[in-house]
Amino acid sequence: MPGATQWRAILVPIVAALGCSTLAEAQDVSQTFTIDQVAPGVFVHTGKPLALDAPGHDDIANIGFVTGKRCVAVIDTGGSTRIGRALRAAIRRYSPLPVCYVITTHVHVDHVLGNLAFKNSGALFVGHAALTDALLRSRDFFLRNYPSDLDTPVTPEQIVAPDLQVSVGNEVALDLGDRRLTLHAWPKAHTDCDLTVYDTQTGTLWTGDLLFIRRAPVVDGSVRGWLTAIDSLAHMELKRVVPGHGPVTDDLAAALAPERHYLQTLLAQVSAEIARGESLQEALREGDPDDKANWLLWDEAHRHNVARVYQELEWE
Amino acid sequence: MMNSESHRTLLEAARQPTPLVLLLALSLLVLPLQALCDSPQAPALGSWPTLRSHLYGTRSIGEVGDELMSVEAPASTPEPSATPVTIHFGDGLAGALKQVRVIIDNNPSPLVATIDLSSKLPLDEIDLRVRIDRFTSVRAIAETTDGRLEMRSTWVNASGGCSAPPSAAAGGTLGEIRFRPSSAGKALQISIRHPNNSGFQIDPRTGDPIAPHFISHIALRAGENTLLTAETGISISENPTLRIAARTALPVPLTFEATDVPTQARYTATWEP
Repeated sequence: MPGATQWRAILVPIVAALGCSTLAEAQDVSQTFTIDQVAPGVFVHTGKPLALDAPGHDDIANIGFVTGKRCVAVIDTGGSTRIGRALRAAIRRYSPLPVCYVITTHVHVDHVLGNLAFKNSGALFVGHAALTDALLRSRDFFLRNYPSDLDTPVTPEQIVAPDLQVSVGNEVALDLGDRRLTLHAWPKAHTDCDLTVYDTQTGTLWTGDLLFIRRAPVVDGSVRGWLTAIDSLAHMELKRVVPGHGPVTDDLAAALAPERHYLQTLLAQVSAEIARGESLQEALREGDPDDKANWLLWDEAHRHNVARVYQELEWE
Repeated sequence: MMNSESHRTLLEAARQPTPLVLLLALSLLVLPLQALCDSPQAPALGSWPTLRSHLYGTRSIGEVGDELMSVEAPASTPEPSATPVTIHFGDGLAGALKQVRVIIDNNPSPLVATIDLSSKLPLDEIDLRVRIDRFTSVRAIAETTDGRLEMRSTWVNASGGCSAPPSAAAGGTLGEIRFRPSSAGKALQISIRHPNNSGFQIDPRTGDPIAPHFISHIALRAGENTLLTAETGISISENPTLRIAARTALPVPLTFEATDVPTQARYTATWEP
């Protein structure tokens, strides 16, 4: 389930609650859907720092698009078909060009369920080579737990897999017409299918959930892999970063520092517990590190991370 | 409800849990799925009333006192397919235990494990990692050497732990066994690399059910002495883990054996600190 359990544990209680609300309660998000142009041709809809049990849980991730001379590339589509359609409508306000690519940064529900809004639009879906399997592992979970974020009746076909796959070690360049996006697939880190998107023209990197700002990071891939990825990101010359969650920033070092510190603390704490022969139960019982004060929505993430990291490290 | 035929099958399965019979019988206990929105404040009793009458008849079962015995599990599990359950035994039970059963009321296969203990091993803690399918009571029933029964339980909220597909982190060497001692040799965690496929999982690529393949029997021996044996089912997590903690240092060397079904493969390793 890495790649698949993901937010499963944390999302379920909420979704159970939200699933009970009627579709009639759904707002017309298109009216209130905000887009910021953070650099020429780079458009971001900033997700809300909402608890996973709050209304609006389908609009928590940063999503957006980049426009070239020939066409538009979408980067993540939000946590519902509703958000995906709001994004598609918003693109029309800024560009008459067709959407040629829909890039998915990873398998998590808050980034991927809106893909349906672009299906059969002529756009090519692009993702990490491991994304298809990760979506297949997650699909039943999505259908069962997020029916109100999909179209009625809910069908497996609504979970859209990538047409074009990017494998680790093989960067792929997409040409939007005088504008090149470079896609980089990462070894297991936040999930097992993390993909970053670099816009050469403006020096903007879309990190997907390799970078959480303010919202507590969730580990579903590998804490060691993620720390390695952070080191790689830190060496990149960037003008601007669009994180998976939190505000767009031009200070990469400052943005990476809290996340690195949290993951290092988590790794050290769980490693020490395993070395002392403590059980998973004891590890979960352990108090929160001081890091807690730095993060929003801590409780949803930290215990999940302890359980995941414990299982990652215990077989090393 | 079940007819008397299936009652008898269940009874036999519980007493003499041949793995395949056990699986078959317990599959009869599959509970009707509740609609998501109908989730009650407290979990339904699920399989417990039926299991109680079959496993323990009308015998009285003590349920009072956390000092004597308690069951610990995270109230809202951070990982439904690998939820730790720890059973603590106090002065009145440690060293006087004959058998411990762990039951997850609302799982498709509620009987997690039947653990038989030797009085030579005065345990004050047993810890397992389990799959939890939905909001449920998790209970442990201890039988003492003089025939007393004590039960304690806790609630766990979860979803989908039994049907969660195998983890992408699955793998490693099938049957690899790890020992992790602690507390000055008084506690030992034993883990075995095994998919422990529940039979309720679906292969995400093909859409086909994944055949059950799980550890059905384990034993822990010190020389000629069998300290612990257990019949285990499909509610045990991938990469099954057993942790025991005793009042005194555990005897060494300790040999751990596990057998799976349906292949009847046997895995064994010895802990010599």
